[in-house]
Amino acid sequence: MINIQDIRETARDMLAKGEVRAVIGYRRGSRGMLAEPAFITNPEQADELVWDPSCFHNLSLYLVEDRKFLAHLNKTSDAPIAIMAKGCDARSIVVLLQENYFKREDVYIIGVSCEGTGVVDERKLAPHLNGFQATDGAFDGDEFVFTTAEGEKRLPARDVMADRCLECRTPFPKENNVVFGEDKTGRELAEPFAALARFEAQDAGERWDFWEHHFDRCIRCFACRSVCPMCYCDECVVDSITFPVNAATTAEEKANRIRWIERSATRSENITYLMTRAMHLAGRCTDCGECERACPVNVPIRLLNNKMEREAREKFGFEPGASIGGPSLVASFLDSDPGDFIR
Amino acid sequence: MSDNIYLPQLARIAHVKEEVAGERSIKTFRVEPVDGELFDHQCGQCAMLSIFGRGESMISIASSPLIREYKQFSIMRVGRVSSAFHELEVGDVVGIRGPYGNNFPIDDWRGKNLVFIGGGCGLAPIWPVITTAVAQRDNFKNITVFYGGRSPRDIMYRAELDKLRDAADVHLSVDKAEEGWDSYCGFVPANVMDKAPSPSNAIAITCGPPIMIKFVIQNLREIGFTDDQIYTTIENKMKCGVGKCGRCNVGKDYVCVKGPVYSWAELKDLPEEY
Amino acid sequence: MEKILDKQQIDSWVAALSDWEVHAPVLEDGIWSYQPVSGAVRLDHPNTKQSPKEFAFPQREIFFSFEQIKGEAPRLTQVLPKTPHYAVFGVRPCDGRGVPRMDKVFTDHVDDPYYNARRKNVAYVGLACNKPPSPNCFCLSVGGSPVSTDGLDVQLTDMGDRYFVKAVTETGKAMMTAAGSLFAEPSASDKKQLKQTHAEAVEYPQRKINDPDGAPAKLEAQFDSPLWEEMARACIGCGICTFLCPTCHCFDINDEVQNKAPLKGERVRTWDNCQFPDFTMHSSGHNPRENTAARLRQRVNHKFQYFHKNFGIHQCTGCGRCVSECPVGIDIVTVVNKVTENVG
Repeated sequence: MINIQDIRETARDMLAKGEVRAVIGYRRGSRGMLAEPAFITNPEQADELVWDPSCFHNLSLYLVEDRKFLAHLNKTSDAPIAIMAKGCDARSIVVLLQENYFKREDVYIIGVSCEGTGVVDERKLAPHLNGFQATDGAFDGDEFVFTTAEGEKRLPARDVMADRCLECRTPFPKENNVVFGEDKTGRELAEPFAALARFEAQDAGERWDFWEHHFDRCIRCFACRSVCPMCYCDECVVDSITFPVNAATTAEEKANRIRWIERSATRSENITYLMTRAMHLAGRCTDCGECERACPVNVPIRLLNNKMEREAREKFGFEPGASIGGPSLVASFLDSDPGDFIR
Repeated sequence: MSDNIYLPQLARIAHVKEEVAGERSIKTFRVEPVDGELFDHQCGQCAMLSIFGRGESMISIASSPLIREYKQFSIMRVGRVSSAFHELEVGDVVGIRGPYGNNFPIDDWRGKNLVFIGGGCGLAPIWPVITTAVAQRDNFKNITVFYGGRSPRDIMYRAELDKLRDAADVHLSVDKAEEGWDSYCGFVPANVMDKAPSPSNAIAITCGPPIMIKFVIQNLREIGFTDDQIYTTIENKMKCGVGKCGRCNVGKDYVCVKGPVYSWAELKDLPEEY
Repeated sequence: MEKILDKQQIDSWVAALSDWEVHAPVLEDGIWSYQPVSGAVRLDHPNTKQSPKEFAFPQREIFFSFEQIKGEAPRLTQVLPKTPHYAVFGVRPCDGRGVPRMDKVFTDHVDDPYYNARRKNVAYVGLACNKPPSPNCFCLSVGGSPVSTDGLDVQLTDMGDRYFVKAVTETGKAMMTAAGSLFAEPSASDKKQLKQTHAEAVEYPQRKINDPDGAPAKLEAQFDSPLWEEMARACIGCGICTFLCPTCHCFDINDEVQNKAPLKGERVRTWDNCQFPDFTMHSSGHNPRENTAARLRQRVNHKFQYFHKNFGIHQCTGCGRCVSECPVGIDIVTVVNKVTENVG
């Protein structure tokens, strides 16, 4: 059982000693959703940190943002940033390290173990709260405890947990500088890839109907891309809203900037966007599930990413974010790799 | 004209002239209506030009409103649409809609000295004011034109500027000294400071790169120009031209409607989001 | 016109609106969205995930098509929308108040022919909020009310087994007249109950913007506040807040090419978003709003300062969607309160 005071103490101490530039963690938000990202630079703010079942954000996104911001200012990091990371988040950081997005010494990982449970899915939780909003939340073994205006509500964690957590294989942040909570890896809440297996049990026609339906529903707000720590490209191949232009960018480069799809949120464009994103996440996505959580219209994006993840696992024995020194999926070739696809 | 604000009129390229070559080349296009007449405009107003299949760009109209037969645009090659424009030849057909924005209050300036200060392709937006003032030469007192480019090859409207000397004092400059250049060497704001035009009964109109405008205004104020004697024009990314698409605002005002022409007295109080 | 409609009869009313295509909130894929219905209208939704702005301002609108054979002049074909008469049922008062705000944008200065062509065919049948459907509702803070009829053609109020039905416009009256026999005259006790229901509705606690009237001036004074950077620190720059908003109207215009030679394509308007980096980026690369702080400031100022200065009303209607749906917890109520607190 994690005592949040220990995490606060660690954060306060590191900030006071100047060992880290900032601590990225969670704090109470001002609206319904309990936790929100916190950026703490002052030791006195360390008491704002929280750890509860609503800490679903994969904060490693902000390591990417920090890197981009420093690059924009032509600066390099003078001290590491500390970050609270769950198992999936820590594996995202490992992938970013594998890809040399930043260096190991640039980040101080405050690992937090999900200790056999995980984080809540707001959509699953809402029906249990009678239209009230949770004002507090806590882990308690196999249960989550929420407080609303009606009082305390204890719920079996598995009833309201996010699918990604139910299917999680590695809920412990192995890569860490300090870690809080016990390693309860090995607990089986649900089969890995259970949702994908259910989906794939359908025939091809049903599957296509399913995806047509969902591709039509995407409104292309790009929340899935924006919230993803792996979607760090300055110039996204499907849409160049983030195309970086500076004084040295030539007219040719601007005139020919990538525009594989149109801005219209129509089926063909949405398919190209979502499928391209899934392909680019193969071997990189650690199934933090943030894309699916952020999607305002509930497009089941995890299924696409899961499919790629399972292919990588079954064909190449590959686990994304397993170790910093490990090979990346698409940039390595082993004699044992299956070659049938290339014939 | 159609009452559909988004539907462009077809216009034919009647004349193309390369003003400046190189990486940031500038070409001047004269366009004539394919059918009927083009809209009338005022000095300083803009038009949305389109190449079908590439898109639209807001470009300031560089010809005088006194010319009704055609409209002229000087376009620097910077992006997707402007690059496509640079591929066009005489006879090609483009789309045009407008006019958009406010205008320089040239009628209020009768009897005054006019000081124009342009840099780079920033001569184009003030060119209609210059040419209109010259065409109505008796309405104005002294007309002075400062204009500078990075190098002699970056000076646009070269022949027109030479011709202008009959009616106006013209002070050209280039940023860096170069053989064969016998006018001023240095930045435009410095040239203005050097010649120090009198603020008495005068209006200064400036357009150019943002950094140039900033120092020109600073220097004009030092010379004694008051904020309401200084006019400039600003730009922002635009899509609709009619204050609906929501991106060109500076504070509460959309530049495509309330701008692009501002006196410094108005502009200095607005947020610097341009 | 004020009538009573038995709840059982709402499907018959919908069926009687044969000149209309009726849309109502439907729960599918875990979210409420407006969908065509032929009967079986259950108005027990909180609020829809997306606002009903799409009826007059769809995410994609074709302006015209173009065709060009090399060496010839292009041919343009204007595509003005021809829509059926939409009757949108179950519109919450905040979204109703979004309608006149969109009307202002698209008819101020010059008329937008595409918006107008659609708008004239849409009727909004509102549903008063007897209690706030979302914990992030704040309509009372922005000049609205859970029983507002602004922007609506008909207002329904849930009174248990009956709806109190009030025509707000002539269109609304016509819709009720189309099924006249289904409606009963309200009794004195019905009217009393309506009054009571509405009186209770405005008493339910909501989120609160502390000084909405002072916001325009205070936000102007706070333009350079360091708070913007702090408040936008977690912003990921997605389009959720603007796309779901009942009053966000910003759009992009692009040419979509279907065939290169001979050239064939369409000029298309799509929703755009002030939180995207390239929304304001010049061709030169210069960006007047170059970071998330400047872009959050723009959205908040547009809602609570600029629109107010131009039209005398806040653009925000307090629906709370941007608050509830922001993936990282950016909360416009908190932002406005924090930035405007302790300002002169």
